[in-house]
Amino acid sequence: MPRLPFDNDIKTLRFMAGEMTQGDLGDKVGVTRQTIAAIEQGKYSPSLEVAFRIARVFGKPLEEVFHWAETGA
Amino acid sequence: MSFREKMHWIAFVALLLAFGWYFLTYPWSIVHTPEGVGAVAGMLVPVTIFIIGLMTVLSAAIAIRSPKDANIKEDEREKNIHLKGTHMAYYPLVLGVWANLFAIFHHISAAGRLNLLIATVVIAELVRVGAQLYYYRRGY
Repeated sequence: MPRLPFDNDIKTLRFMAGEMTQGDLGDKVGVTRQTIAAIEQGKYSPSLEVAFRIARVFGKPLEEVFHWAETGA
Repeated sequence: MSFREKMHWIAFVALLLAFGWYFLTYPWSIVHTPEGVGAVAGMLVPVTIFIIGLMTVLSAAIAIRSPKDANIKEDEREKNIHLKGTHMAYYPLVLGVWANLFAIFHHISAAGRLNLLIATVVIAELVRVGAQLYYYRRGY
């Protein structure tokens, strides 16, 4: 499976937000726990809407949650 | 494992068991006779009842054990997985339709064509559910 050209800090941000679980974040964003896990692991590229929703949960701009990988495509 | 993935596993196993039994026990010696059509109809009844019954009982049992999971709406990743699976099932379905056209032009018996149609649908369903399970396991 090709790796996504970006990574993310969702796991760290969850930890800093009172050790929020993947399920809690999924509930806030409107996706399943499995989808949050897939996004965190770089297996699934979320839609722009879900990406914005995740960033809004943490009160961060999008580029502080998702980072374009310099070595990526 | 999500509720929907569990449901996919149940559907996959139910299809394999029910149609595995159907194709292994169908009386192939009468496939070229009019009675062969009756045998198809007669055997499809228990197959349908088995699949619906197994899926109803197991999905209810899983939903009772974890009602929260059962009520979660399908999200975008799951919708994409379903679309991918359906897309992959299109190919065996088209091949099966062409095989049926070929069978009609070559005057294959009605029961033979019926079985070919059933096999087409079963293979397409196994590809659809199997592909979706693969993507669920892989993450996407």
